[in-house]
Amino acid sequence: MPPAVPPSADSATTTPFLQISGVSKHFGGVRALHEVDLDLRRGEVIALVGDNGAGKSTLVNVVSGVQRPDSGVLHVNGVEVRLDSPRAAAAVGIHTVYQDLSLCDNLDAVKNLFLGLEETDPWWRGRTLRRRAMERRAREVLDSMSVRLRSFTAPVGGMSGGQRQGIAICRALVSDPSLVLLDEPTAALGVSQRAEVLDLILRLKEDNRGVLVISHDLKDVQHVADRVVVLRLGSKVAEFSRGDYTSSDLVAAITGAHEGVA
Amino acid sequence: MSTQIGRTDGAPAWSRLAGIFEDRLSNIPVLMVLGAIWLFFYTRNEAFLSSQNITNLILQIATTAMLALGIVFVLLVGEIDLSSAILSGVCATVVANYAVTSGWNIYLALAAGIALGMIAMVIQAVIVVFGVPSLIVTLGGMVVFQGLLLVVLPPEFTVSVGGTDYAEIASADVPTTVAYLVAGVVWVGYTISRWIHARGSSNDRIWAGVLSLVIGVAVFGGVTVLSRADGLPLPVVILGAMLIVAAYVTTRTRYGIHLYAVGGDRDAARRAGIPVSRMIIYSFAILGFCAAIAGVVDAARLLSVSNSSGGGPLMLNAIAAAVVGGTSLFGGRGSVWSALLGALVIGSISNGVQLLGYSPEVQNFATGGVLVVAVAMDVVITRGSLWPRRA
Ligand SMILES: Nc1ncnc2c1ncn2[C@@H]1O[C@H](COP(=O)(O)OP(=O)(O)OP(=O)(O)O)[C@@H](O)[C@H]1O
Ligand SMILES: [Mg+2]
Repeated sequence: MPPAVPPSADSATTTPFLQISGVSKHFGGVRALHEVDLDLRRGEVIALVGDNGAGKSTLVNVVSGVQRPDSGVLHVNGVEVRLDSPRAAAAVGIHTVYQDLSLCDNLDAVKNLFLGLEETDPWWRGRTLRRRAMERRAREVLDSMSVRLRSFTAPVGGMSGGQRQGIAICRALVSDPSLVLLDEPTAALGVSQRAEVLDLILRLKEDNRGVLVISHDLKDVQHVADRVVVLRLGSKVAEFSRGDYTSSDLVAAITGAHEGVA
Repeated sequence: MSTQIGRTDGAPAWSRLAGIFEDRLSNIPVLMVLGAIWLFFYTRNEAFLSSQNITNLILQIATTAMLALGIVFVLLVGEIDLSSAILSGVCATVVANYAVTSGWNIYLALAAGIALGMIAMVIQAVIVVFGVPSLIVTLGGMVVFQGLLLVVLPPEFTVSVGGTDYAEIASADVPTTVAYLVAGVVWVGYTISRWIHARGSSNDRIWAGVLSLVIGVAVFGGVTVLSRADGLPLPVVILGAMLIVAAYVTTRTRYGIHLYAVGGDRDAARRAGIPVSRMIIYSFAILGFCAAIAGVVDAARLLSVSNSSGGGPLMLNAIAAAVVGGTSLFGGRGSVWSALLGALVIGSISNGVQLLGYSPEVQNFATGGVLVVAVAMDVVITRGSLWPRRA
């Protein structure tokens, strides 16, 4: 096992936004996660890598409130929390962009951005949707992420993969979260759209949000991540800080080559 | 900062025009079909478009349109219903029993009928939410309600409602002046709300003006054409009110967005915190309400309820109306206006066939053909190409 990299002096002094401690999860006989510890800070991009079935999606599901861990605890800003629904996670400032994007293809961009969080007039004005207000805010958010759309009123089903990914990420911003989880955001994209999404990730970081991104693309990972966490067969086997590793270090940790030589 | 939405800036005029109508085309196919049908019958017999025949037509389709409106809500969440027509007969009978046989106040009897319709639909919806396909649940429901109809009918299998308050529901008129006044209020309210929303975007402003004009012509023209000697027939007013409330609720409220979201992608809706099961139950409850009203209006027009109430082609016509009008069978696409437009298409065919004295099978051929053609047009427009996608 490679030695765990000590956290930088800067991050050691601040309480992490989210602390994952000793999280385990089994599916029947399958050990999806085993005693995983991980700290996530605002303004930091963490990449989660590992082979297929390593437990990456399971870890994201645990943090986003989709699945409950068998054991282990989560602390948000030092306070222990139970995240038993996506709502509970959203309430503490954790927003997830799922691998399938979870957009409603038949709705337009604005409606997708605000889905479940629509703004309405007070009841004495008929609870009418505040469409102009939502459109204005949508424009701001999309602008701030440089997501370019041809139309606000066209269903998102007809948009490009990059635009849809952009909308899905911007959706995360409407609720102003502290931590954004992205499950393979670049997997289905072409070269230029992939660059756009990586840009979005860096922008989330500039906004002082924490980012946890799952990716199989080690180039992408090296480009955006401040820290890389490697999962293998459900366990965290390595953690590298930016600049402290080479591609072959990553590959070795992912495939378990180190275990062989150690 | 950059502006992303300036799609019309410096664009040629034709694309500007296309931009205005973009995404608002969903009612065009059915309007074209309707126009063609009207033109066809009008050229054979000018009486087809006489004010009297149009009023007749609307009264003939009112039941179908009301039921289709409820069906639209169920289709929008991606479910289907086969039981509501016969349920409408059950509700109409229950109201007749209370109002005519037992002499209850008509409003109280109506409330009982509506409650029955909604409860019956909610029970089915709960079973659907537990995972049984709605096609099967409501198919079973249809058979059960057929039995229920025989249970609630008296031994002679018919209740006459002629000459009672019940019959008034179809025969009463709203005075023309009142009708114009209400139409005026609706139109002004609509125009103001459109205008407020449109501020800022020139596209929207043009569209708001066009829509306001169209709505104005439709509302005032509608009142003028549909009025008979003593005013506007009550069923027309009821149908209009149901449509307007439904249009408001589906396009201007949070509930409306969630309705479409559930039909578009249930998992996405659930992850966004939308109570999917509850939305499905609401849709069926609304259908139950519409079915009860439709049944009562139908019985009032026919002056009786019987073991054929809610039977015949009503169920298939209502589903066909919703679909011909442009509401998708797969959920998430369509509008409440499709109920009216689709029912108009189907009703116009049968009205015209009768007017011209064609044999009844012509009506079957034409209605079936239009159903397939309208849906095919919708598919082609949605897909953006005439040819099937490969693989
Ligand atoms: N709902 C489930 N039921 C049963 N087993 C599951 C479930 N979800 C995940 N697993 C198992 O847990 C293990 C970890 O799965 P997970 O989806 O977290 O992997 P992953 O790292 O995201 O893989 P990939 O790169 O393929 O997305 C796998 O062996 C998988 O089969
Ligand atoms: Mg995964």
